[in-house]
Amino acid sequence: MKRKLFIIAGIISIYLASVVTPGCKKINIVETTTTDVNIVGYLDKHLDSFSLFRQILERTGTAAFLNAYGAYTCFAPTNSGVTTYLKNIGASSVDAADINVLKDMVRLHLLGDTLYTSSFTDGKMPVITMYGQYLVTSVVNKAGISSYQINRQATVLNSNVKVGNGIIHVIDNVMTPATKTISQQLEANSNYSIFVQAMKETGYFDKLNVVNSDTSKRWITVLAENNQALADSGFTSYAALKAKYCKTGNPALANDSLNMYVAYHISQGLKFLGDIISTPTHETWLPQEVISVKLIDQDVVINQDEFNGVLEIGVKLDRTKSDNAATNGVWHDARAHFMVKYRKPTALYWDVSSFDEIKKLPAYYKKANYDFKRATEADNPIKDQYWGWGPLASTNTLSYVYSSASSITNYAYNNDVNMLPMGLPNRPIWWELRTPPIVKGKYKVWVCYRAQKQSSSSNMLCQVEVNGTLMQRTMNFTENRPSGTDAELEAIGWKRYTENTTNVFAARQVGVIEFTTTKQQIVRITPLNGTQNNNNLDMIHFIPIDQDQVLPRFRPDGTLIYQ
Amino acid sequence: MKTRLIILTSFLIILVAGLTGCKKWLDLKPQDGIIKEEFWKTKEQVQASVIGIYSSMMESSSGSYGSTTYVPSLSEQLFIWGECRADDIAAATATSADDIALINVNIQPTNVNTNWRPFYRTINFCNTVIEKAPEVLVTDNTFTQAQLDNYLSEALTIRALMYFYLVRTFGDVPMKLDATLSDEKITPIPKSSKDSVLMQIVADLKLAETKAVKTYGDVASDKGRVTVYTINTILADVYLWMDKYNECITECNKVINSGKFGLIRGASVNPPIYDYNDSWFNTLYFNGNSNEGIFELQYSLQRLNPFYSIFSSSVSSRRWVAAADLMDRVFSVDYTNDKNYDIRGDGASVRAATQTIWKYMGATATSLRTADQSYAHWFFYRYADVLLMKAEALNETGNGQGAIDIINTIRTRANALASTALTPAATDKYLIQEYILMEREREFCFEGKRWFDVLRNAKRNNYERLSLLLNMVAQSAPSNMQQSAQAKMKDKNSHYLPIYIYELQTNKLLVQNPFYK
Repeated sequence: MKRKLFIIAGIISIYLASVVTPGCKKINIVETTTTDVNIVGYLDKHLDSFSLFRQILERTGTAAFLNAYGAYTCFAPTNSGVTTYLKNIGASSVDAADINVLKDMVRLHLLGDTLYTSSFTDGKMPVITMYGQYLVTSVVNKAGISSYQINRQATVLNSNVKVGNGIIHVIDNVMTPATKTISQQLEANSNYSIFVQAMKETGYFDKLNVVNSDTSKRWITVLAENNQALADSGFTSYAALKAKYCKTGNPALANDSLNMYVAYHISQGLKFLGDIISTPTHETWLPQEVISVKLIDQDVVINQDEFNGVLEIGVKLDRTKSDNAATNGVWHDARAHFMVKYRKPTALYWDVSSFDEIKKLPAYYKKANYDFKRATEADNPIKDQYWGWGPLASTNTLSYVYSSASSITNYAYNNDVNMLPMGLPNRPIWWELRTPPIVKGKYKVWVCYRAQKQSSSSNMLCQVEVNGTLMQRTMNFTENRPSGTDAELEAIGWKRYTENTTNVFAARQVGVIEFTTTKQQIVRITPLNGTQNNNNLDMIHFIPIDQDQVLPRFRPDGTLIYQ
Repeated sequence: MKTRLIILTSFLIILVAGLTGCKKWLDLKPQDGIIKEEFWKTKEQVQASVIGIYSSMMESSSGSYGSTTYVPSLSEQLFIWGECRADDIAAATATSADDIALINVNIQPTNVNTNWRPFYRTINFCNTVIEKAPEVLVTDNTFTQAQLDNYLSEALTIRALMYFYLVRTFGDVPMKLDATLSDEKITPIPKSSKDSVLMQIVADLKLAETKAVKTYGDVASDKGRVTVYTINTILADVYLWMDKYNECITECNKVINSGKFGLIRGASVNPPIYDYNDSWFNTLYFNGNSNEGIFELQYSLQRLNPFYSIFSSSVSSRRWVAAADLMDRVFSVDYTNDKNYDIRGDGASVRAATQTIWKYMGATATSLRTADQSYAHWFFYRYADVLLMKAEALNETGNGQGAIDIINTIRTRANALASTALTPAATDKYLIQEYILMEREREFCFEGKRWFDVLRNAKRNNYERLSLLLNMVAQSAPSNMQQSAQAKMKDKNSHYLPIYIYELQTNKLLVQNPFYK
C-alpha cells in the first residue's frame, strides 16, 4: 500500500513537473541567417503590383528556380503592364495565354547575373538574357522625369531592389523579343528599298536573314543607307547605284564593287551605338577594310580621318533612327552615302618627338628639354607612347630632348629626339609607339636615331616588332652608321636620313611589313642585349617598297630635301 | 597619556583621509576633462569654442578610403561636390567606383561622396555656440554684449555657409538649428524645403551682419575668420543663387566699396612687352591670406589639407587629375608665342604635362609641394569672385556693358588669351552669361565652384538654360554613356545628390530625393 502510494506520488510529481516547469517549453530557435527574401518572395510580398507576373512565373515553371539560390537580374513588370501585354497577344487571362509565348517572355526578362543600373550604358547590357537576345538600355526624359528605359519598350519604375538571389528592376511594361531578322526589318521599311535591292542582288539579303544557332557567329551589325542618303549622292534608283559600282555585271561576285559596297556596310558582332563608339575601328565583311568611328560632340561619325594632313569629312549615323534590334543583330541609319576608299600606299615619315602631349607645352616644344615621368606603373603620360615598367622606378622617364646647339640634337629633324632608358635589369623592358594611320600596303620600316653610348662599354641591341610581327633585322642605339655611298648603304640596310653627314645620325632598315588594314599601327622596340639611358629615337619611316627609300632627307629646321 | 596619543592619532588619520580620498570616491565627474556645467563660464571658453568651429572644418577624414565607414574631410567634399560632376576633372589611377560614378552620372545612395556628416558636425559646433554662449554673460562680468555679438556672428555665418553648400548639393535637407548636446537630444528630423533653408540662411546672415566685426586687427584672422565682408560675400552668392540680382549687387558693392580688397597683379601685357608677376602664384595660392582673399580655410604645418594624397602626381593613390583637354579647351595655348600665356593656366591651375591639379599641389610653377608642405588654403571666396558675381547680377538686370567691363578686368589681370575672348553685344544676355561662366571656369578652376556655377545658370528662369548642363555633361561623360547621362540631366531632381544610405537608416524621417528611388 505504502509502495503504491509512493508510485502514485511519483507519477503525480513527474506529471506536475512536466506541466509546471518551464524548461520543457519548446524554444523557438532561429534557423535562418537572414530574413531577406528571394525574387519570388519579393513578388509575393508585393502581390498588389505583381500578382499577374507571379502567376506567369508559376505557370511557366520558373517560380521554383527563382526562389532558390543564385544570382539573377529580373525585370519584373507590374500588373498594368502585364494586362496590356495579355491584351496584345489576345489572351483573356494568364491561363489562357500560349505557354510557349509566356516562357519566351519570361526568359527575356531574366539575366543570369546581377546587374545594377550603374552598368547601364547607351548600348546593350553586358550579359545576354536567358532568351538569347541582348537588352538595350537608355535613359529617357518624360515630362521632366528621367528614367531608365529597357529595350525601348519598358520604363524602370523602381531600380536596384536587392533580394537574396539577385536584383529586381520593376518595369512598367512587358518587353517582347524581336521577331524579325535584319533583312526582314529593312525590307519592311520602304525608306531602304534601294539598299535592300542591293542586298538582294549581292546575296547578302539571305545571309542577313538567318539566325545562326552558334551565338558566336549570330550577331551582325548593319549600317544601312536610306533612299534619301543615296539620293543626296545622286543615286535615285537601284539602277543608278548598280551602274556606278557593278563593273563585272554580276553583283554576287565578291570582287564586284557593288558587292564590296554592301559588304563594307556589314560588321560582325552586336554593336549598338553605345558599343560602336567604344572602339575606334570596326572590321567589316569586306576583308581587311575597317570603319573608323569618332564621337564628335554628340554625333557618331564614321570614317572621319586625317591622312597626310588632309581631313576627310565622315558620315553621321542618325541616333534617332539607329539602334534597331533584330533577331540576328542590329542595324543603324547612315545619313549619307559612303563607300570604301582605295588609297595608294603613302610613305609616312614619322617624327616621334612631335606628340600631342609635348605640343601642349609651348614653353618646351621646340624650346627646351622636358621629362615625362611615370610615378607609378599605372600612369600613362603620353597617349601614343608607352613602355614596359622598369624595375628601378626612377628610370621610367621619357625625355623630350631639344637643343639646336647640343651635339645630340643639332642635326636631328626639328632639333629634337625622344630619349628613353631601356634594358634589363633595371630599365624599361620595351618601348611601344602607336603610329598615325598608315594606308594598307607593303612598307620598309626604318628606325632613325642619334647613336650615343652612355659609357664607352654601353650596348643597346634591340629587336623591332610591328603589329606583333618580328622584323627581320635588329638595330642598335649605340651603333653609328657605316660609311659608303647611298646605294652601298641601302644595300646593307642603312641610310643617311639627315642633311648633315655625321655618322651618328643613322637610319636602320629593320625589315619589311605588310599592313593589311589601314589604321594606326603599333611599333614595339625590345632590348635584347645591354642597357643604357641614351636611346635617342628621332624618326620612324614607313616607305612603300616600290618608292625611293633614301630621299627625302630631313633638316633640323623641319624642312625636307628631295634631291 | 596613552589614550591621548590614540585619540590624536585617530584624528590625524581621519583628517588625512578626509582631505584626500573620500570626496573623489563619490565624485562622478571626469578627472581629465571638463563638463558642460563647468564649461560655459568664461569668455575664454566662448572664444575657444568659436575657434573650434573653424577647426572642425579642417578635421581630417576618418576610416580608410573605400570602406563603408569612411568619413571624408570637409574640404575633400567641397572639392568633390563642386568639381567632380563638372567637366574640368578626370579619373586617375586610384579613382574609386564611387568617384567614377560621379563622372558617369550614375550616383547611388551608397556613394560615399554623398556623405554630409562633416557639414552637420560643423553645424552642431555652431549651434552649440549660439545656444550656450549667451549664458556666459551671467557668469563672466568681463564678457561684454559686443564680444558676444561678434562670436555669434561667426557661428551664424558658418552655419549659414554650411547650409548653403547643403542646399545647393542636396536640395531639401534637414534643418537643425538647436544644439545636440547629449545623446538624449538626438531626434530624427524631416527635410525642410529648399526655399525655407535659403530663407533661414538669409535671415542668419542678415542677423550676423549686424553683429560682425570689420577687422580683427591681423591679416590671418581677417582672412580666416568671419568679418562683415565675409558675410556680404556669402550673401551675394546666396542672392545670386536665389535670382535676387539687385540685392546681390548691393552686397557686392559693400565689399567693393570697402576698399579693403583688390586683385593681386598677375600680368601686364602690351605686346611686345610681356610682364608677369613672378610672385603671383606664390602670393595668392601658395601662401594664401593675400589682399585678394576674403574667406579661406587656413591649413598650416600643424593641420595639413587632405589634397596631397588625392592630387599629387608623385603618389600612387591619386584620385583626381585635370581633364586632358583642360589647357586646350579652357585656357587655350598660343603655339606661336610662348611668352603669351594665361597666367592662370599651366603652372597655376594645372600642370599640363602630368595633368596635376596644381592649385593645391604646386610649390612654384614647375615644382611640386612635398607632403609636409600640403597646406594650401581652401578658398571659399576671393575678391575676383565678388567682381564676377556682380557681373552676373548686372547682366541679369540688363546692364550687359557693366558685366563685360568686369570680365575684361579679370581677363586683363591674368592675360587671358585672345582666342578665348568672346565679343558679345551689351544686349546679348545669353552670350554674356556664357562668357561669365567661361571666365569663372578659368578664374576659379578647381576651387570647388564649377558645378554650382553651371547649375545656377542652368536653373535660372525655370531651367531656361538647361542646355548649359547638357553640353557640359556631353563633354565629361564617357562616350558610351553620353546619351544616358544627358537624358538624366534633363530631370532636374538629378541635379541634387541622393541622401547617403547611412543617414536614411539612422533618421527614419528622411525621404530619399525623388530621382534616386
